[in-house]
Amino acid sequence: MNTAIETQGLSKRYRRVTALSDCSITVPESRICALIGPNGAGKTTLLRLLAGLARPTGGDVCVLGGTPRQDPEFIAGIGYLAQDIPLYRRLTAEDHIKAGAHLNPRWDGESARTRLRELAIPLDRAAGTLSGGQRAQVALALTLAKRPRLLLLDEPVAALDPLARRHFLGTLTAAVVLVGARKDTSALERAHTVVHAVRTARQSTLLVRLDGPVLDPAYEVSDVNLEELVLGYMGASAAPALAHLTAVGEDQ
Amino acid sequence: MTWLVWRQYRWQAAIAALLLAVFAAVVIATGLQMAAQWHSMLPACTRSSPCSATSASLGSQVGHDLVVLSLAVPVILGFLWGAPVVAHELETGTVNFAWAQSITKTRWLLVKAGWLLLAAAVWGGAVGALVTWWSGPRNAFYSEQFQPNYFDQQGIVPIGYAVFATALGIAAGAVTRRTLVAIAVTIGGFIGVRLLISQTLRAHYMAAVTAYYNPLGYYSPPGGAWVLSTGVVDKYGHVFSGGSAPQVNGVPVTAIPASCRGLLFRDLNTLSRGQVHQAVSCMQASGFRGFTTYQPASHYWPFQGIETGIYLALAAALLAVTVLVIRHRDA
Repeated sequence: MNTAIETQGLSKRYRRVTALSDCSITVPESRICALIGPNGAGKTTLLRLLAGLARPTGGDVCVLGGTPRQDPEFIAGIGYLAQDIPLYRRLTAEDHIKAGAHLNPRWDGESARTRLRELAIPLDRAAGTLSGGQRAQVALALTLAKRPRLLLLDEPVAALDPLARRHFLGTLTAAVVLVGARKDTSALERAHTVVHAVRTARQSTLLVRLDGPVLDPAYEVSDVNLEELVLGYMGASAAPALAHLTAVGEDQ
Repeated sequence: MTWLVWRQYRWQAAIAALLLAVFAAVVIATGLQMAAQWHSMLPACTRSSPCSATSASLGSQVGHDLVVLSLAVPVILGFLWGAPVVAHELETGTVNFAWAQSITKTRWLLVKAGWLLLAAAVWGGAVGALVTWWSGPRNAFYSEQFQPNYFDQQGIVPIGYAVFATALGIAAGAVTRRTLVAIAVTIGGFIGVRLLISQTLRAHYMAAVTAYYNPLGYYSPPGGAWVLSTGVVDKYGHVFSGGSAPQVNGVPVTAIPASCRGLLFRDLNTLSRGQVHQAVSCMQASGFRGFTTYQPASHYWPFQGIETGIYLALAAALLAVTVLVIRHRDA
């Protein structure tokens, strides 16, 4: 199986602050991968390095067979959704979809419209007037409409309440499985790899967990899975950590 | 990208077009009035009593004040259009929408900045053109278009100022990443650079012309010239140009040779033509000369071109800095 992401001793320093140090991960294609770590572990930095939005200060990184860089061909393969759910407040979802059509070579605006209609999210209202959950759904629909080979989602559910979060992750899983299950070969070649950052766990190291291939329709991403996953890493301290995680979940 | 820029800025563009239309309406109304006044004055002017010799004033105060306000148009474009371009998108995180599309950061910046700078040039140029047209009768009447402040409102320099102010706003926004700070830097920087260039650099764009004449006389250069300095110079090159000490035509009494003092210190109104001539000859024999240094009216358009070129070059340099900052800044 091909490798979607490979990093070797990847580091990033901003003047005096080390945002990421000596990170080595390998993520095969057609996988969902959760990036787990507490605040400041370097999850966002790693995703920005993978998306070609930042340059490493040390180590090597290879994404989709090349070095992440500011090059239209490379960026076209990456679906990056930033933590703060970036949408122009005054523009409507439809405006964003049209803008995407002008800015991307493989844009599938119709799928984004269909997805948002199914969720009863109005296409003609300014993004600033939508709820946080609706905005997250719009941003996800836009990221998927780009038809990227690699999805990089930076805590896309951080701002959502638990119910909206579950809904969002359901949409995400459905979309990813849908793309992966398409019968035509081009779609299979473009099967997604999803890197999903989650803020959880008290451990100071960055954990990377590989889950099942997206081609398995039974697979489901949810908060519960991720929490269990973190607990697996943390071993013995599971019980207090669970309480902690539940509290964190409800805060958000 | 152009589509997105248009979608983002169409309302601002519409409001700016509306304001420009209002400005044009007032300038055209007062301008037509002033032109009519000028044409009614013209027949009365003759070679022996030129229009400039009359004491009448031309145009209304309202029109004049409004036109002076046009000096502020570039800096307004700079902080309303330029400063938020990058800073506001960084603050609100919308750059992450643009940069997540299949477009490089550099192209995103260049397309956005390019359209805004073009819009600034069009608005600056339109305001400048209106003011230039409005000033036609005044220029003919007062020949003041080369004077500081008037030079800055007319011709093509407003285009240079508008493009520079907008580029300054964009660069300040990219460097400081905060709209409010960028606005402050734009206003301060624009005023600073404008003062520096108009007060110290402009006079030296081309070699000035100096006319020498008798030390007790005065000289007025051909119409439309920009007088840089005037005074009396002695044979050592020492320049006298007035002061608080007792003086004759700017030359302190103590600097006047004793031989000439007797000729000068009489009631000037009682001096005969011959006595005046004698005093002038005495001063000239001692090496005193009156001088006026000026930029002739023929330098007006070259100066407009040079100043516009300086501001466009500064704008290009600022844009280059912005590209470097955006390309190398990671977050």
